[in-house]
Amino acid sequence: MISERARTAHSESADQLARRALDALQGTGGAAVAAAHVESASSGSDGDPAVALGAVRILGADVLAPYILTGQSPPAGETETLGLALGALPPTDPPPAAPPDGPEQAWTMAWIDWGLSTALSRLDPARSPAPAAPLPQAPPRCDDSAPRHLPPTPAPEGGDRAHGSDGTAREGWVPWSVRMGQLASLALPGLDGPVHDAARSGVLGLARGATRATLRRDFPTAARITRWLAWLDADGQRLPLDPMLLTEHTGLLGGGDRTALDTAVARRLLGVEAV
Amino acid sequence: MSPAPARTAHDIGSRALTWLHANREHGALSDVPRADLADEAEAYKAVGETALAASLVLRSGVAGTAELGLARELLEFCWGQLDDGSLLYERMLRHPLATDPMETYAHFFRGGYRHPKVERLIAHTVALRSTHVVEHIPNRRLAVANAARVVGLDHGPGASDWAGLTRATWLGATPEPWHIDWLTGYSVTHTAFHLTDWGRLPDGLPTDLAHYLTRWLPVWTDIWAEAGQWDLMAELMIVGTCLPEPWTEDDDWQRLAAVQHADGMVPRDDQPVDGDAAQRFDAHQHPTIVALIAGTLALVRALDTPKQPGS
Repeated sequence: MISERARTAHSESADQLARRALDALQGTGGAAVAAAHVESASSGSDGDPAVALGAVRILGADVLAPYILTGQSPPAGETETLGLALGALPPTDPPPAAPPDGPEQAWTMAWIDWGLSTALSRLDPARSPAPAAPLPQAPPRCDDSAPRHLPPTPAPEGGDRAHGSDGTAREGWVPWSVRMGQLASLALPGLDGPVHDAARSGVLGLARGATRATLRRDFPTAARITRWLAWLDADGQRLPLDPMLLTEHTGLLGGGDRTALDTAVARRLLGVEAV
Repeated sequence: MSPAPARTAHDIGSRALTWLHANREHGALSDVPRADLADEAEAYKAVGETALAASLVLRSGVAGTAELGLARELLEFCWGQLDDGSLLYERMLRHPLATDPMETYAHFFRGGYRHPKVERLIAHTVALRSTHVVEHIPNRRLAVANAARVVGLDHGPGASDWAGLTRATWLGATPEPWHIDWLTGYSVTHTAFHLTDWGRLPDGLPTDLAHYLTRWLPVWTDIWAEAGQWDLMAELMIVGTCLPEPWTEDDDWQRLAAVQHADGMVPRDDQPVDGDAAQRFDAHQHPTIVALIAGTLALVRALDTPKQPGS
């Protein structure tokens, strides 16, 4: 079991890595993100390269956001570092089943790994050092008319095709939108799959989830969910609220490097240059 | 609404009514000098709110014999506190621009009471442009408009511009749902209450406002339930019963039932309830009225809404 202290170390390392990605995206820091982060951890007296590589896995495809969003190529060493991070503890194959059948956290990590691995191979197909991560199961679908806190609930035996169900579990918009927020690193241009399809069919749930998180002043969660709204806007979906104003709001009221990165990515998705 | 929460809603309302009836003397105005009553709207506000809830029970058509008896006695008690309406009349004479006597009178009118001199004065007041531009907050102007409608005076030159009044409210602008606060939450609920005359006219909500509320009520109800703001949570549950397609969640009714005390009192929030009976009445009479209205209107809508096939 991971200790509280180790958890804090990973979280702090992920924050620092997010800051590097943000700086690279905004052109205010070096172009290297993951490589510079791991290098810094290896050379510092209190750094731990294993923790730094773990942070890469926490951020997932977000470490590649500066290159995906600007079209610049990752500098030499960047893809090797990502290969190292993915190779240190290869993604489980086959991935765990989706909730409620499988373990929530491991399934979420499997998707974040898929995002990193897929973004890496799309960005630099010739030099991708890691094998493609296996595609995990689709998330439960958001049921707008279900009780809002309904946990993932298996569909009736054989599915309920008469009501548009394809047999996947359904879930209330509160836990569903929070989980989509945890998968926000997938909300990048060029990534598309079952999670993105779930976002497309859960527009209202995402808008409600972002609204709820904002009103609860949980700005990290609000920014993550709002990023999906920005992705959907870029995807051409009609939204029940203005994602630009909400992005500005969570960016101005929220704090922390990961929230700042989510905000910057959302602004790019919405076609607004970073501040 | 499925049968289980309909029963819960009924039980909540019934217990709240019992408590309001049993504790009604704590709301008596006998200790307040009559001059103060004529001068201060706050002094008799609670009597008006009790009268509103009682009038809605009588209007509902779903109350049992015992509940109808309690509601009738409660309304009679409130009418007596206002000296059979004379106090409203005196206040109108003394403060011609005050609209609260007319708003309060509407509750009694709904319950079958009449005071001809008050009504003549209201008819005169409603015809004045001045009444329609009193500098109330926007949702309060809808309260005045609805009072005139209930009393049957919302026509002719004095008729309210409902569309204009609606658009002047926060809700009427369908703003960013993530930028609401506690006090504005109450503005939203009251805009919906007055537009629909407390659920009697669900189509009184313009279609876009009904859609907007359907989208965001679940969020607002959730966050104020989490914050333990039972009074606002229950008001939002009333709004759900006022929609053309009523919105309700079983969990909300279970939560409201769980916070209600055994004697029927509903605390306004999650803070400890203390004080003697009079202090408790003073502090928690409002949320208990809200719970009575919520339970009553939910039951009305549960019974008048056609069942979905298979539900």
